[in-house]
Amino acid sequence: MRMASPSLSSNAKAAERRVIATAATALTSDAAVRPSVSPYQSACDLPNEQKSVHFAVIGDSGTGGSEQYQVAQQMENCRQKFGFDFVLMLGDNIYGGKSQQDFERKFEQPYKALLDAGVKFYATIGNHDDPNERLYKPFNMGGARYYSFKKENATFFALDSNYMDSSQMDWLDHQLQITSTPWKVCFFHHPLYSDARYHGPDLDLRAVLSPLFQKYGVNLVLSGHDHVYERFKPANGAYYFLLGNSGELRYHDLKRSADMVAGFDTDRDFMLAEIAGDKFYFQTISRSGQVVDSGVLERPQR
Amino acid sequence: MAILNTHRAHIIFFHLVAACCSVYAQTAASGKPVVNQDSLVIASFENSVKEYMKLHNKAKAGVPPLKPTNSAHAINQYQRLLASNTRAARPDAKQGDIFTPEISQEFKRLIGMTMKGPGAAKIQASLRHAEPVSKIPLQVNSVYPEHVPLQSSPPSVLLNLPPLPPELDYRIVGHDLVLRDVGANMIVDFIPGAIPSP
Repeated sequence: MRMASPSLSSNAKAAERRVIATAATALTSDAAVRPSVSPYQSACDLPNEQKSVHFAVIGDSGTGGSEQYQVAQQMENCRQKFGFDFVLMLGDNIYGGKSQQDFERKFEQPYKALLDAGVKFYATIGNHDDPNERLYKPFNMGGARYYSFKKENATFFALDSNYMDSSQMDWLDHQLQITSTPWKVCFFHHPLYSDARYHGPDLDLRAVLSPLFQKYGVNLVLSGHDHVYERFKPANGAYYFLLGNSGELRYHDLKRSADMVAGFDTDRDFMLAEIAGDKFYFQTISRSGQVVDSGVLERPQR
Repeated sequence: MAILNTHRAHIIFFHLVAACCSVYAQTAASGKPVVNQDSLVIASFENSVKEYMKLHNKAKAGVPPLKPTNSAHAINQYQRLLASNTRAARPDAKQGDIFTPEISQEFKRLIGMTMKGPGAAKIQASLRHAEPVSKIPLQVNSVYPEHVPLQSSPPSVLLNLPPLPPELDYRIVGHDLVLRDVGANMIVDFIPGAIPSP
């Protein structure tokens, strides 16, 4: 569902200014990445342009803890203000047990307001998930562990990074080859880039996927696994985000590197996103409603 | 696809070289062409997998088909029934039935080759960062514990192993390699100590 905005142009201009102001608005434990607070910090404030793609992103969410519910409440607040049609889930959707009660407590109840409003969730499988979650209809995986779907000028590719075998690689190669939308978004659990101390980047996965991403112009990559938020400098023509703290959190786990643009490791969060023409607008919002990172990124030209 | 082709090219090249050397040596000795033993071992594994799939499909035929559903209970029930039927169809299955000593040896060689190649450091890092599964008791025909995360398998290792039908996958548990029935979440067989230490 998309809500009409009476002041599209002013919102768009505000977002344009924001990109200049938000070189690093995020908060982390590392003194080197202290926030430089932007004046444009109103949550759920994206341009809301016509024919744009609105969505939210969560990762490592399925704890069933109160923090997950509080993040979900912030998502619902944003949906009412901004409106978004779907949510990308970056894996670890259901931690621990996988009973009916677990699915209710760790997914259906926290996101009830969103589900009731018709928001669709598109899941990927994390290492704490049962691969048979692909059969759980509300995850919209169509029974497949990897799949794609198209929204306006963007195609989204959900990958199973637990098990990147030759059949999945062949499928991805073919799908990327025949996809003509300007935006190609890949999302999966294990991050190719991460400055978190606990896990860090999956270098073997990066060695296999990066050449494909570069070859076919994948321009946005979203992953979880490490329980922090991080945004990176573009690599090989793609923007990389790590968001693995929508339920779990590894407090003070980030260590700044030259690749980091922004990071947040002191609370849970989710991302609100809009793809409008050649621009990707985003806000990362904590469970208390604070904007911890935001900006607008131009689609890289090939 | 360049990267995948490179992986496959390495494997094919390795097998070709091994086969040529083997054939040359043995032909020279006996005067008769012989078949590459490594290929025979892999073919034997593939046959065992085909046999297992016949059994799997028979077990599956006895379970009401499951389409995507809103009920997690229905998914769990389907998984349990499939595991139960499959187990009943191979009650005497034991470690080494599919991963025979010869096949285990060949898998260890393939994995060792990958993990000592140019990408060795990346693979070891990938294994470390994948939330390694602590040692859990592995038993053929038992269900993989639902509370234990499924450790991701480094792509470079997967791409160098014989491909499997989608109903099966390889999983790493500590230093062991598990062959798992995905739908039943059941351990079909495993190779102890298949993953070498760094």
